[in-house]
Amino acid sequence: MRFGYVSLLPKTETETKFMEELKNNRLMGTRCKKCGTKHLPPRAHCTCGSGEVEWYEAPKRGKLLTYTIVAFPPESMTKYAPYIIAIAELEDGSKLLAHITEVTPKNLKVSMQVQVVPHQISAERIAYKFKPL
Amino acid sequence: MNLSLTDKIGIVGIGHAKFGKRTDATIRELAHEAVTPALEDAGNCASEVDAVVIGVAGDEFAGQGSSGAVINDYVGMAGKPMFRVEAACATGSAAVRAAWALIKSGLAQVVLVIGAETMAQVSSARAQELMARAGDTRWEYPFGVTFPSYYALMATAHMHKYGTTREQMSMISVKNHKYGALNPYAHLQREVTLEEAMKSVTICHPLNLYDCCLISDGAAAVVMANEEKAKKLNDTPVWITGLGAASGEMMISERPNLISIAASRIAAEQAYKMASITPDNINVALVHDCFSIAEVIAYEDLSFCKKGEGGKLIQEGQTYIGGKIPVNVDGGLKSKGHPLGATGVSMSVEITRQLRGEAGPRQVGNIEVGLSHNVGETGQYCFVHIYTR
Repeated sequence: MRFGYVSLLPKTETETKFMEELKNNRLMGTRCKKCGTKHLPPRAHCTCGSGEVEWYEAPKRGKLLTYTIVAFPPESMTKYAPYIIAIAELEDGSKLLAHITEVTPKNLKVSMQVQVVPHQISAERIAYKFKPL
Repeated sequence: MNLSLTDKIGIVGIGHAKFGKRTDATIRELAHEAVTPALEDAGNCASEVDAVVIGVAGDEFAGQGSSGAVINDYVGMAGKPMFRVEAACATGSAAVRAAWALIKSGLAQVVLVIGAETMAQVSSARAQELMARAGDTRWEYPFGVTFPSYYALMATAHMHKYGTTREQMSMISVKNHKYGALNPYAHLQREVTLEEAMKSVTICHPLNLYDCCLISDGAAAVVMANEEKAKKLNDTPVWITGLGAASGEMMISERPNLISIAASRIAAEQAYKMASITPDNINVALVHDCFSIAEVIAYEDLSFCKKGEGGKLIQEGQTYIGGKIPVNVDGGLKSKGHPLGATGVSMSVEITRQLRGEAGPRQVGNIEVGLSHNVGETGQYCFVHIYTR
């Protein structure tokens, strides 16, 4: 399993665990055991320098902060265009970037309520995405 | 070596290659085209150059690794201490800052700064692909996020919060093309109408083609020197009296907000303080207009207007020559072009021209103080320099 539509980096332990949980509809972040900072998507190390992080389940509801409709994609994404990229703020204040589907450009609105759901792109690929609530 | 930490540091030579789709030249030849006039301008000082700083953002476009070494040798500087800097789209300004620090430390008295990039020799889709890899390749690239889309996310947020309009963004493009048409070094030397700009094809809604800067090849060079040398090499040195720099979070979703670039605000504050001036003292500014919305946000982050009033500032024509603060009078990244490593150095070249009164039909007037503002990526890097006569 790989994350997203395209990938360049090698898969890590953190990413593998994240994808397994995502498949079961759990959106997991990591929290620093030292300073308490939450990281979503997860990081293996905190920005405070600590390597001690623990998993937590993030909320899946939130509101849209902004979006763009990508008409001109990079070479690797040509077959998926056009697609809508959005950033949402989740109920705990963390922010996430993903595609949003099941919405038309006309009813796409900043501040609309959205939910994070797993998105099985292909047998080999998974990501999260937003859909309207 | 005479060393005083209170010495001023100045620009004593400038050179600029023609920006454009330069299939006629490789990156080393573009660099040569900029370096030759810069050294001549600085009193043919090649033998007095005691360090070289080279800015090239990426090797993927040109296909040549370690471009710094290639350029350094080609312009006849082999043997001198040389290194390359990288700060994405702000690479050129990082190179100028590094040269300033070399001179201030006393390690060098005269430094040749070269910024160069070749980008236009690949297709647009390929260029988008290569640039997208400068985004976060773990959690952003897998969604097909491109640079136009990062700035489109900011544009949507800015329009929503402040009522900034598509028309105001197109006005940025109209202004910058007006001045680009007067700049013989610009990539696209032609004016565009507001209608053309507004009706052009969508790249990443709400940004269309005329909201996006060009993908260009090009190079620019400056010779910088300490006060003693500067006065010998050139009768009209332009002094860099303020510098500011800051960085930002890697992922755009981690920024505190999407309507401002925090690194720009921090860098600007530092530079104003160091130069002991306020934004009202600036006579000409070159700001990072990689996308039209970026220029609107730059007006606000650099305190040329209040937060949220960037759209109004262009609508009122205040950033044209004759307005409150002329911005991007060389055409900006939009019309002049944006060969990543060259851009920041090109900004220093234009401000020097303006302060010397040598900018011809796009000369702002008899002016004293200039500012350049160069953003790397979406605010992961920012450099602000302030220049005086």
